[in-house]
Amino acid sequence: MDWLLIIVLLPLLAAAAVGVVPGSQRRAIRSITIGASGLALLCALIAFCSFEVGGGLQFETKVVWVESLGLHLHLAADGINIGIILMGAIVAFAAACCADDITHRVKEFHILLNLMIGGILGAFASMDLFFFYFFHELALVPTFIMIGVWGRGARRNYATYKITLYLSLGALLALIGLIGVYVQTGAESFSIPDLIAKVQESPIDEAAQQWIFPLLMFGFGILVSLWPFHTWAPLGYGAAPTATAMLHAGVLKKFGLYGLIRVAIPMAPVGAQSWLGVLAWLALANLLYCGLVAVRQKDLNQLIGNSSVAHMGFIFLGIASLNVIGLTGAVLVMIAHGLLAALAFGLSGHLYRQTGSLDMSRMGGLLRQMPLAGSALLMALFAGCGLPGFANFAGEITIFFAAWSAGLKTVTVIAAWSALVIGGLYMMRAIRCILHGPLGGDWAKAGDVSPLIATALGLLLGALLVFGFVPGLLTKGIEGEAAKIVRLAKPAER
Amino acid sequence: MNTAAWLIMLLPLFSAAAIGLGVFRSRKASAAISVGAVVGSFLLTLLLVAAGDDLHPSVTWLAIGGLQIDIGLQINGLSKLMLCVVTGVGSLIHIFSLGYMKEDRDISRYFAFLSLFVFSMLGIVLADNFVMMFIFWELVGVSSYLLIGFWFEKPSAADAAKKAFLTNRVGDFGFLIGILVVWAALGSVEFGDLAKAVSGETAMITGLAGFLIFCGAMGKSAQVPLHVWLPDAMEGPTPVSALIHAATMVAAGVYMLCRVFFLIDGTWAMEAVAWIGGLTSLLAALMAVQQDDIKRILAYSTLSQLGYMVMAVGLGSPDAAMFHLTTHASFKALLFLGAGSVIVALHHEQDIWKMGGLRERMPKTYWTFLIGTMALCGVPLFSGFFSKEAILDVALENNLLLFLVAVFVALLTTFYMTRLFIVAFMGKPRSSHAEQAKESPAVMTVPLLVLAVPSVIAGYFNAHAPNPLVLAASLGVLVFGMLLANSAYSGAKADPLPARFGRLAKALRDRFWFDEIYQWLIDHVQENLAKLADAFDRWVIAGLLVRGAHGTTELAGRVLRLAQTGNLQTYAFWFAAGMAVLLVFTLS
Amino acid sequence: MEPTLSQYLLVSGALFAIGLLGVIVRRNLLIIYMSLELMLNAANVALVAMSRFNGNLDGQVMVFFIITVAAAEVAVGLALIVALYRKRQTAEVADLATMKL
Repeated sequence: MDWLLIIVLLPLLAAAAVGVVPGSQRRAIRSITIGASGLALLCALIAFCSFEVGGGLQFETKVVWVESLGLHLHLAADGINIGIILMGAIVAFAAACCADDITHRVKEFHILLNLMIGGILGAFASMDLFFFYFFHELALVPTFIMIGVWGRGARRNYATYKITLYLSLGALLALIGLIGVYVQTGAESFSIPDLIAKVQESPIDEAAQQWIFPLLMFGFGILVSLWPFHTWAPLGYGAAPTATAMLHAGVLKKFGLYGLIRVAIPMAPVGAQSWLGVLAWLALANLLYCGLVAVRQKDLNQLIGNSSVAHMGFIFLGIASLNVIGLTGAVLVMIAHGLLAALAFGLSGHLYRQTGSLDMSRMGGLLRQMPLAGSALLMALFAGCGLPGFANFAGEITIFFAAWSAGLKTVTVIAAWSALVIGGLYMMRAIRCILHGPLGGDWAKAGDVSPLIATALGLLLGALLVFGFVPGLLTKGIEGEAAKIVRLAKPAER
Repeated sequence: MNTAAWLIMLLPLFSAAAIGLGVFRSRKASAAISVGAVVGSFLLTLLLVAAGDDLHPSVTWLAIGGLQIDIGLQINGLSKLMLCVVTGVGSLIHIFSLGYMKEDRDISRYFAFLSLFVFSMLGIVLADNFVMMFIFWELVGVSSYLLIGFWFEKPSAADAAKKAFLTNRVGDFGFLIGILVVWAALGSVEFGDLAKAVSGETAMITGLAGFLIFCGAMGKSAQVPLHVWLPDAMEGPTPVSALIHAATMVAAGVYMLCRVFFLIDGTWAMEAVAWIGGLTSLLAALMAVQQDDIKRILAYSTLSQLGYMVMAVGLGSPDAAMFHLTTHASFKALLFLGAGSVIVALHHEQDIWKMGGLRERMPKTYWTFLIGTMALCGVPLFSGFFSKEAILDVALENNLLLFLVAVFVALLTTFYMTRLFIVAFMGKPRSSHAEQAKESPAVMTVPLLVLAVPSVIAGYFNAHAPNPLVLAASLGVLVFGMLLANSAYSGAKADPLPARFGRLAKALRDRFWFDEIYQWLIDHVQENLAKLADAFDRWVIAGLLVRGAHGTTELAGRVLRLAQTGNLQTYAFWFAAGMAVLLVFTLS
Repeated sequence: MEPTLSQYLLVSGALFAIGLLGVIVRRNLLIIYMSLELMLNAANVALVAMSRFNGNLDGQVMVFFIITVAAAEVAVGLALIVALYRKRQTAEVADLATMKL
């Protein structure tokens, strides 16, 4: 079965379906979105379960689009992206469930939401460089519109400008890099497997690699909020509607990391060798610096945004280690963080709807007021500071081992400090301010989450716990692919 | 047998999950599930002990490249002993909690957390490798956090929980780095493999790793300088203080040191461990002398006894440390539960100067508390006597200075425990609550009576002939301490020491200002760094760089806009003029 | 006397210049519009003259095209101007500045 094609087409069809429903039928519109993403989740789950570890590319769909340019719609899954697609489908479903806080222009919002979901899932399923980029843009543009039109807060317009400029710039740099890859390989094809086969025979000219890799690294890096290009993230997520923040922070942001692993390192291994040291230190800046910034935040969304930027540091560090353990850990954290970020933004969206403010100094005692949401937030914050039992811990500790064995010892020590102590500090502070203590002033009338949202958040939490208890579900598949990439990048150590 | 081993650990997890998923429903069922799970674990432990075999079942948790992390259960003599302590004391404390927490509306949540704690603690006890131990180490930290902050609406409890968690995290940082060092140097994290790989050549690196790992123990076992969280942790419910902060979790650090003793054996880390232990026991005993809160006195006493155990490990005798750990677990749990019984009877009054005269009113609590006190002070033939003797023996053999410290600590221990006992139980009631105090119900007194038994007899299992010098010293300080305390406090209405010693007493009462110094450090270093990063983010990156780029673009736009008058005819003029110029160029 | 090509082109250029001047300086939409027509016709004159002197009919075909298109354009343009006049009661370009920043 072409599960991937179905997964990608379902949301796009749902976007079309929402387009023909009259805008007053809000319930129908929401049901279409939730139904489509639910079905996509089901398909992703079936695909994940029937995925054969070590079986190469699976669930392939290949449609010729422009023969002369070598453009194909090529969807396929291997050990790395099958997990990410499943995570994306879970987050998409949860985001669809959490989208009922939109009350005006519901139809337009849901069209964009479905387009974004389709784009996200398509980007991670594509094995063709062109569609890989195309689907990403398909998801990115609705993000900007959604923040601009349905966003919240006084600085919404500024946030929209900023996120649009930053992300467009990042996407542009990456595009130049990708074109560079295409031209330099001379493969006459946009297919990633073809390109990899080509560079295995005749690697890209080393001088060219020295400019292709940094372009890709910073281009993709900006998309993932690499320090010092990170300031768009907390601001943008603070202003974004709940569903958008969940999808972007959870899944779409991982595109840059995925691109680094999938394209940049295999295509320009020599460039990677000389630039990954820089990446490791920037990763450390993400972890330490953004962690410290998070400590100072008074607004819950700013705190989650900054801590999410800090967590990107782990993934960059894993990539910079450039060994099997590190790349596997990086993908593991990508998946874990996707689930976690969606959970955290879903919860903060619920809190925001109660009083229209996320000022932590005015909260307090919410664990009593809203036991379900409170417990979920408690667990999310624990997961965020790397508590074992959640998938984040499995990934983070793997990355520590990887970075240490890659010889990045100073970086690892400081990273461990920021993960354990600084991470603990801001998360504990948040729990203390929001959940513990006497009930805060405006919160006496606040209600708990609705059953629908509770289901969605429960799903995210459940996935975090399952992958935390049995990380082997993911790592077995990832490891093989990571090993291939490492062999490409370091032929000497074969 | 392997199934039994897994069940010991998993029963409490199932209980926690079951209560968690059905939380806020039936309170009685939750309590019953939790108590049933820990008693079940205890019975299975007894089964394992009876069977007598060493077991080592294991499954792979994570395997990537050269990194292999198992979840394996190592069941040998050491872990069996610890299993008995944890599940045995745990069972009694669960039962005691049924009475103590009866009135609380969140009793389901309480038992869920307690089960989670027992699960995590058993994970530490059974762990066969460092990463697994670290995993459960963190889980124990979290369950301790949840239980300290159980009454989370009380700001002091919430703050204490936060402090405990963060202080432990500082220790865990060292632990994690230690694990990485060991793994890089010896290529494995499994205790069995490591024990084989350790040799004379690796002493330097394993010493370093051992010390870093000891940092983790410093956090959990509350050794100086990471001891500050333990007294505050008394904000939690009293059975929690008994279980976690006296008998089991705080002993985890000592247990771990014994478990991985091969790593530090014969390295420089031993010396450091011994001195940190000795220092902790001395400082904590001094601080205990001037506390007024019954639970805090016991907390400092716990610190001091943990210092003893750590010192024993550092002096090369994990056996003595484990011996003291076992006896201490029973009598300190007894003392805490006794204190809990008193606190409930006095409607949550914890100041010993508002007690008094409880001897007649609460006879069962009185007698069991007396047994606990005697065991802690090391009265001959009680359990504490034998285990303390063992540690003093080791100290005398290895380090005379530390021996003197240990003897002085024994004197202080006798002094502050006698003070507590006289002030709280003897004399006349000093408050209306104390006058109306009644004995606690059977569900609370029976665990006291049961715990009193090992507090008396636990020492005989490992007794050996004492060194005469040690015997003389310990008996001497025992008698001297009791007489001193008796003369100072018998019939006293208020503490006479502050008047007599002034500044020194104040230093002890203020716990040598550790908290204040840390607060100052946090305020001035951590906060300033965070402020700096935040300001940099706001002003330099968001302000200067981003605004700068934005500003230049905008300025260029403004200048170019001058040409854009918006008047179509002007455009037409420029257009025509441009065409004319072009024509002139192309035609000429 | 038969006029020479340069004389035709001179007339055409003069007409074009007058038309351009009218477009640039006049303020009334209708007059600007007429000036625009003048410029178109200046081009027509040039095309016809070229066609005549080169013995090639392509230019005259072009002129028919232009006349047709211009007729359509006049219809649309005048309709717009009339609609604008009805709405605003003016045909002065200076008054039609609501889109200006």
